[in-house]
Amino acid sequence: MSYAYLFKYIIIGDTGVGKSCLLLQFTDKRFQPVHDLTIGVEFGARMITIDGKQIKLQIWDTAGQEAFRSITRSYYRGAAGALLVYDITRRETFNHLTTWLEDARQHSNSNMVIMLIGNKSDLDARREVKREEGEAFAREHGLVFMETSAKTAANVEEAFINTAKEIYEKIQEGVFDINNEVYLNKLFVEKIVCILIEYLLNYFIISKANGIKIGPSHSPSSPGGIAGTGGQGSSQGGGCC
Amino acid sequence: MFRSRSWFGGGLWRPKNPHSLEHLKYLYNVLSKNQTVSETNRGLLVETLRSIAEILIWGDQNDSSVFDFFLEKNMLSFFLRIMKQKCGSYVCVQLLQTLNILFENIRNETSLYYLLSNNHVNSIIVHKFDFSDEEVMAYYISFLKTLSLKLNAHTIHFFYNEVNKHTNDFPLYTEAIKFFNHSEGMVRIAVRTLTLNVYRVEDASMLRFIRDKTAAPYFSNLVWFIGNHILELDTCVRTDADHQSQNRLADLVAEHLDHLHYLNDILCLNIEDLNKVLSEHLLHKLLVPLYVYSLTRRKDLLCDNYEDRKYVSTVVALFLLSQVFLIISHGPLVKTLAAVILKSNVEIIKSGASKVLEEFEEIVSNETVAFLPPKESLEKSLECASDSRGDPSKLADVQEEENENEDATDVKSDESNNLKVDEEIVAEAEKSKDNTERDGAKLESGASSNAEGSPARSESSKADATSETVVKEIKYLSVSDEEKEQRLALEGPLNVGRVDITPEEESVSNKPFLEAILNSLYCQENDYAALFALCILYALANNKEVHSESLGFSLAPNKSSVKNRYNETLIDKIIHIITLSCQSGAKVRLVTLELAIKLLLHLVICDNESILQDCHLAAIEAAKEQSTALLRNFYKSEDIFLDMFEDEYGEIQKKPLKVEWLMMDSNILLPPTGTPMTGIEFSKRLACGEVERARRSIRVFFLIRELSLTLYNEVENQLPLTNPGSCVQVNNVLDLSNYMYNSDLIACTVVWKDGQKIRRFLVIDSIQLILVEPDARKLGWGIARFVGFLQDIEVVGDKDDSRCLHLTIHKPSCSGTSNKVPLLSAKFIFDDHIRCMAAKQRLTKGRIKARQKKMTQIAKLLDIPTSTPQCSTPTNYSLVSLRDRTAGGRGPHHRSSSLKDQQQQLQQRLFQVNKVPGFAAQMRRDSYANKSLGSSSSGGTTSLRHVDRSPTGRVSSQEGGSGARTRENSPKLPRPRSEEIPLEDMRLRKTSLTSNSSSQQDDKDSAAATMQLAAATSSGIATGQNNSGSSSNSSTASGQMLEVASTSRSGSGRSEETSFMERQSSGSSNSSHHRESRPRRKGQVETV
Repeated sequence: MSYAYLFKYIIIGDTGVGKSCLLLQFTDKRFQPVHDLTIGVEFGARMITIDGKQIKLQIWDTAGQEAFRSITRSYYRGAAGALLVYDITRRETFNHLTTWLEDARQHSNSNMVIMLIGNKSDLDARREVKREEGEAFAREHGLVFMETSAKTAANVEEAFINTAKEIYEKIQEGVFDINNEVYLNKLFVEKIVCILIEYLLNYFIISKANGIKIGPSHSPSSPGGIAGTGGQGSSQGGGCC
Repeated sequence: MFRSRSWFGGGLWRPKNPHSLEHLKYLYNVLSKNQTVSETNRGLLVETLRSIAEILIWGDQNDSSVFDFFLEKNMLSFFLRIMKQKCGSYVCVQLLQTLNILFENIRNETSLYYLLSNNHVNSIIVHKFDFSDEEVMAYYISFLKTLSLKLNAHTIHFFYNEVNKHTNDFPLYTEAIKFFNHSEGMVRIAVRTLTLNVYRVEDASMLRFIRDKTAAPYFSNLVWFIGNHILELDTCVRTDADHQSQNRLADLVAEHLDHLHYLNDILCLNIEDLNKVLSEHLLHKLLVPLYVYSLTRRKDLLCDNYEDRKYVSTVVALFLLSQVFLIISHGPLVKTLAAVILKSNVEIIKSGASKVLEEFEEIVSNETVAFLPPKESLEKSLECASDSRGDPSKLADVQEEENENEDATDVKSDESNNLKVDEEIVAEAEKSKDNTERDGAKLESGASSNAEGSPARSESSKADATSETVVKEIKYLSVSDEEKEQRLALEGPLNVGRVDITPEEESVSNKPFLEAILNSLYCQENDYAALFALCILYALANNKEVHSESLGFSLAPNKSSVKNRYNETLIDKIIHIITLSCQSGAKVRLVTLELAIKLLLHLVICDNESILQDCHLAAIEAAKEQSTALLRNFYKSEDIFLDMFEDEYGEIQKKPLKVEWLMMDSNILLPPTGTPMTGIEFSKRLACGEVERARRSIRVFFLIRELSLTLYNEVENQLPLTNPGSCVQVNNVLDLSNYMYNSDLIACTVVWKDGQKIRRFLVIDSIQLILVEPDARKLGWGIARFVGFLQDIEVVGDKDDSRCLHLTIHKPSCSGTSNKVPLLSAKFIFDDHIRCMAAKQRLTKGRIKARQKKMTQIAKLLDIPTSTPQCSTPTNYSLVSLRDRTAGGRGPHHRSSSLKDQQQQLQQRLFQVNKVPGFAAQMRRDSYANKSLGSSSSGGTTSLRHVDRSPTGRVSSQEGGSGARTRENSPKLPRPRSEEIPLEDMRLRKTSLTSNSSSQQDDKDSAAATMQLAAATSSGIATGQNNSGSSSNSSTASGQMLEVASTSRSGSGRSEETSFMERQSSGSSNSSHHRESRPRRKGQVETV
């Protein structure tokens, strides 16, 4: 099937927080959530539509790879979005978020969209982490937050799609985190420089954004620099070679 | 009875409950009726396969009979049958997903074993799916990865079977590694994960299989793949024009790091046999031929086939090798590599590749130490490996040779352990020489007799042959210089004349790789290569497996010996970099300086003590003086300077250099640039424009100051300018009666932007503004609810309400991010106009004083005499002073007599110069003057701490160009180059609140104000007296605590009235006093 973009996601978080269940719940709707069945998968793909454009999401669960530094590193780098999942019924999974986030920030490219997910919201009775705490953590670290339940499928769709929307917006806007912004500001000519830089960055955004691949259906008539780098982008998206 | 009937007869129609045995039976029926895939039943099959996954997992978790049925009916064979029909991606994907779910979710171990037992899974693994389909590929590789996660000592036998000689022995592994260079990154990651998961299963026979049959092909291909990556990276660096390919480069660098981490992960599993093969391939095919040989461009060294030799630029080679030493921790590998770099001399390099070629040409023509493609593709070699297997005699033969080879390598690694005294090493080297010679001869004969052997056979003998090369090379390396020369003299008659070279000389000129690194430390045009040279030295010094002392190039302080305590040649070069970076217009980036300092400290700090010799210490001190002098040129009594100073200090404290992170940044691979347009961090590029030059010299000053303090083992006691310990924090409980001594309380209502209104008392400390809420429990005490620094406030009066002030407090040291949100932005409503005016006055003055105080601190740091703020000069005074100085200070001999004058003039200039037209140009002249001074003083051997040095320098420069000076002072002065933004302009951005608000006030207020003020003055005095008397019990902490600015009127505070006061009260008794000081005040308000 043709698509305009392919976004690669990774799912991270402690073991047992329901990462693979979330993944299956989202990628294969035919698996109806049932109470006496826990079922998950480590890879899945699904097509969604944003802004009239077909976008394919590929989701890779990183479970079991923590033992190897090289693997974690590569996964982060290859992804455009990450779902950081904790279990609302287990406090320690929430406490480990900082470590996960540090890892993600260190290894990923700065544009990776990270969404914080409090999973198992169906088990409200056994809740150990308040919703407000999750919200506060997300606010503090600039993440989008949502509570989901892989069991009841509540918010699962939204979590993945909202992340995709944010990535899509970043592509459209050409928003970039220039870390030397600081120095530009003090220049008298900052305005001009900024405009110029924005123009340049717009032009290069696609090749920079890792974990994003431009699909074959992408028309060359689309505005901005995206079309210009389209051909190049398809090889870039997959890393190298 | 009933049960058995339903067992076989059931499932013809769809049961209601999808999670039941009946449902599976139904699905079984569907499958058996639709064994041929067609357009019509495709959808049905997909749904059936999906449901099977669901029900099996449900059964695994709830009802074991479900699984029994699945196994009994051998339903996995249906999967195979469907798969073999070229059913298209739709069905394939579903099949793979079902399998994924199955293996991912099954918890029951026995079920898992049953699933794996009948070899169906292996058949599925070797099935050739349509891998061109992105989705099939992704599901397939995830399936393999999922399986690899299930590997353990028990399950491994389902995948790897030593008895089974008919099929591919270990399809899970061999099929997966075929995708090691797949274009899709995620696939490559999955392959790497899988291989690591396989390696870590501790199964000897499986590992032997991997070592014997797959290691050489896989690793040689992997190494070739990495190497090609590097060539691409190099091309990217070479062809980059104006930093256009930053993104591509970032990708390539990150990919290389991924590779190195992957290799390191394999090596860290400590599988000896595997590591040996891997290290061998890395050294022979990549690290030595491509990385190390690229270090030098000396054509005389590079062997015959120089033309077709692949190489990368020196800079890239240095960068890559630094990464290798930072990441890889496998002892034997890094030791050998370090030895090759640090010890190999001209002869070895010359003979190394060519000699080997001579000896083994017939058999291993292209298996030398060279970066060359593997002979055949991985897929092909894997096929060959599985075919040729099964000839036991040949295998035994190979192993025998390998054992012998092992002996030699053992000696090698022993030697590199370097714990022995020299003689022993030499002796052992001799032994190993004999060893290798024997081995070599044996190998030669053995190899030639087997020349027509199977590919696998020749493959392994080749590997042996090449390992000889390294052993041989290492053998050379581990011998002392003297011994080496002797041996060389014996071996090559041409080299006889070289015996009289001193070791010192030899160490550099005769070791081309080391020479290349050290030469890179010179920053002639720029510090492009120097940064990487520092990196690699730092990485070598910090790699725990490298023992550089034994390699003849010390990278650590040596406590034991008295004479050679550290590597002087290296220290000389590092200090040269530090000295260079203190000159104005230096082409040394901040990051280079920081790294140089870091390395220097590593080399000379031993047990918290510096072992630096006096002459080097003096050079550092000279550099410090020079950096101070450089910064003095930028010292200005302007808001922006103080802000910059504190910002930079914060930046340096916040982000200490981490070499590992630095080496992840691909931007440093591009030639140093000055333009911020590239988006490169400030510290990693050159300064652009006056502002950045100022920032740069501030940082250089900080860095070298810290270095000097560390070397003297002293503690920093002047920085940061604000001592955080002495500041009031939010929620501190304050004794308000105590605060009365240095401040007053002014009651006010704070109205926030959102309309929130809170009654607070305003306390103005010497550096802080504090909003206090009276403590309900403790009379006379208050709780600080808000604190902000006076230096960051902005006060604006309200046009409509004379009781109001608009206060903005900026966040300190946040380096002006564009959407800077102020710490506080609110309206303060006071009880009446007088109190409002008093508060405003105090705030304004507090700000000025806080800043003045800090400027004095900076002046002290920079050895600028601190009386500065007091000396008042008319606007054009600096012109006069310039002339005066030239007259008075002509020639250095007059220095002592007119020293004081000069200093004074210097300060005056520093504070006034910005009024002179074209000052920016004047500034540049100064910095050149200092540059010349700097270079002259850099050779000095004593500790230099003379304040008078810079005036001297300036004087001499004035002498030389008195003609030019007059031109400079004329208004026709050439404009600064357009890229340079003079510091003065920044003033426009930062509205000086004082001048602003006071002038507003002036305009607005009229006779009425004058009247009020008169009243205020008198009442203020009254309150003041009152206050001092009643301060002890003023703690009645209620509404009437409002103190108008009054205490400051007594004593020294008297002279500090605002201009507003002063102008309005010309008739008052103080007028004469104020008039006297007016010129100064005016100047201050505008310049501070």
